[in-house]
Amino acid sequence: MQESSTHEVLMQLDGVSRCYGSGEATVWALRDVSLSIRSGDFVSIVGPSGSGKSTMLGLLGCLDVPTSGTITVGGVEVTRLADGPRTLVRGRSIGFVFQQFHLIPHLDALGNVETALLYRDLRPAERRERAMASLERVGLAHRGDHRPVQLSGGEQQRVALARALVTEPKILLADEPTGALDTKNAANVMEILGGLQSEERAVVIVTHDTGIANSAARKVSMLDGRIVSDEVLR
Amino acid sequence: MNVFRDLVRVAMTGLLARKIRTLLLLLGPMIGVAAIIAAVGLTDSAKGDLKAKVAELGTNLIEASASSSFGGQNPTLPEDVVERALTVTTVESVAPIVELSNIIVTPYEEAREKYETVPIPVVAVTPELPDVLEVPLVGGRWINDFDEQAGARSAVIGVGLAREFGVLPEELRTIDIGGHDYTVVGVLDSVQLEPGFDTAVFIPFSRAESDFLDDDILPNKIYARVDPNRVDESADALTTAISLGGPDEVKTDVKSEALELAAQSDRQLQLIVVSMGLLAIIVGGLGIANVMSISVIQRSAEIGIRRALGHTRRIIAVQFLLEAIVVGVIGGVFGVLLGMLSIFIGASIAGWVFVMAPWLAPAGILLAITISVMAGLYPARRAARLEPLETLRLG
Repeated sequence: MQESSTHEVLMQLDGVSRCYGSGEATVWALRDVSLSIRSGDFVSIVGPSGSGKSTMLGLLGCLDVPTSGTITVGGVEVTRLADGPRTLVRGRSIGFVFQQFHLIPHLDALGNVETALLYRDLRPAERRERAMASLERVGLAHRGDHRPVQLSGGEQQRVALARALVTEPKILLADEPTGALDTKNAANVMEILGGLQSEERAVVIVTHDTGIANSAARKVSMLDGRIVSDEVLR
Repeated sequence: MNVFRDLVRVAMTGLLARKIRTLLLLLGPMIGVAAIIAAVGLTDSAKGDLKAKVAELGTNLIEASASSSFGGQNPTLPEDVVERALTVTTVESVAPIVELSNIIVTPYEEAREKYETVPIPVVAVTPELPDVLEVPLVGGRWINDFDEQAGARSAVIGVGLAREFGVLPEELRTIDIGGHDYTVVGVLDSVQLEPGFDTAVFIPFSRAESDFLDDDILPNKIYARVDPNRVDESADALTTAISLGGPDEVKTDVKSEALELAAQSDRQLQLIVVSMGLLAIIVGGLGIANVMSISVIQRSAEIGIRRALGHTRRIIAVQFLLEAIVVGVIGGVFGVLLGMLSIFIGASIAGWVFVMAPWLAPAGILLAITISVMAGLYPARRAARLEPLETLRLG
């Protein structure tokens, strides 16, 4: 981790715990977790089901707030923010890729990518241009007018990638990005993902698949709501 | 501005993506607005010709007639009735008449029997009458000052009589009035406010006096045009001014009142149909709330992903509300058009005049928007409250 120490901390978790329910039925999904994500990181968070990685994903994505502890994104303590400002931080800092792609079915590929740029006071032409550039980046510029149903699984996930990238997020958060893909498409998506971390950006993959996890540069292993190891692989 | 454009664009895309659903949403406000507009418009149109007639004829013609308080025969107005009437400042013009009785008019000898049974009314007039009644002549000329001064046996007939006699325009012919030959010099057009004039014969005051009366001729009725804004007080003032010191009583009558009463729309019928329209639009609103609530559930994944992409709860709520507003606007506009079409078709079939109050169109659209917004509030709130983590099924 000596290399990454020269990079800016993009996200910091300090003593983060998250429980669901109350009283006798309280379930601790995450216990006292601390983690730093730095620019340039290509990190996988791996663990079996029930290890707390989904809860981790919600917190890293600012979709959820911890029961205790603090989360800082780009110097802003999001745990102190109300839903509205937290949503704006999320939109500015984080790009999402989901296992089930979650493209909006009635919009074409370009429209799906453009959705990430809505309500940002952009001129339609500029928004379109940026969305097109993002599609080009994943090699799907020629599929801009195709609806999700007209695209293969691999293509859909690449559109989702383009949507996540179009806002130039500091952190790209991928949840089982290859879970719904065949081996060939999975390799293709992983290749793109691996090439996306840069001096400014971190790529975080949440997965239960150790093969996928080991293709990252850094692997964080979880078990029973705790981080059990944090190793640099390359 | 760009943000607003985005909101509108997304709303339109959302509505266009589900055309059948959108069409069904539109039907509620559309039918409701159309029903209300058709109800008001058709009930107005049913009396449209009468309304137009009232507007055309004016509401400021007053008739003042003599009526005997003792049930005496042939009550009369004072000799100086015209001067008296003109002392009322709101009176603009006056014309006196005498309705003569027991005179047989015979256009040709063969028909004498018929016209003895059903006599044609004979009215002595002055040159001012057509101007006061604001009725033109169909042909020829009216009784003029020369007729009056010379006591000429000139007569003008109503347009109804002209048709009966087969008088052609500009044709001079004589008719027998009470045994004297009169020359028909003109035909008076139909007098809407005094339908009896259509089948009457008009002769000069001076000739009437010498041919048919023993005494001096005294008018029994006057017509007065008054200030249109002060009709009722003019009627009162006329009564006082004319009857002052005279033997007979005076009765005034605003000629257009009966017509105005007849031109009133059927308020009860209107209320019933408007209520039904309101009911339709409320049911339509419930339909919108229902369909949009289901739509929120169906689109929960989309809402989740939008929230993850950084769209705030407020944006999501406004977005759904805007869809409802667009439905209201389009439903309202089409409802107004459909309503107008209904009035047009209904009025055409029934032979009415197309009448639609100008406030109906904006009011209809506004009503549709209001209902749609109210219907959209609940689904919009629900959409905004969805938690992205729950809808995205992560892990």
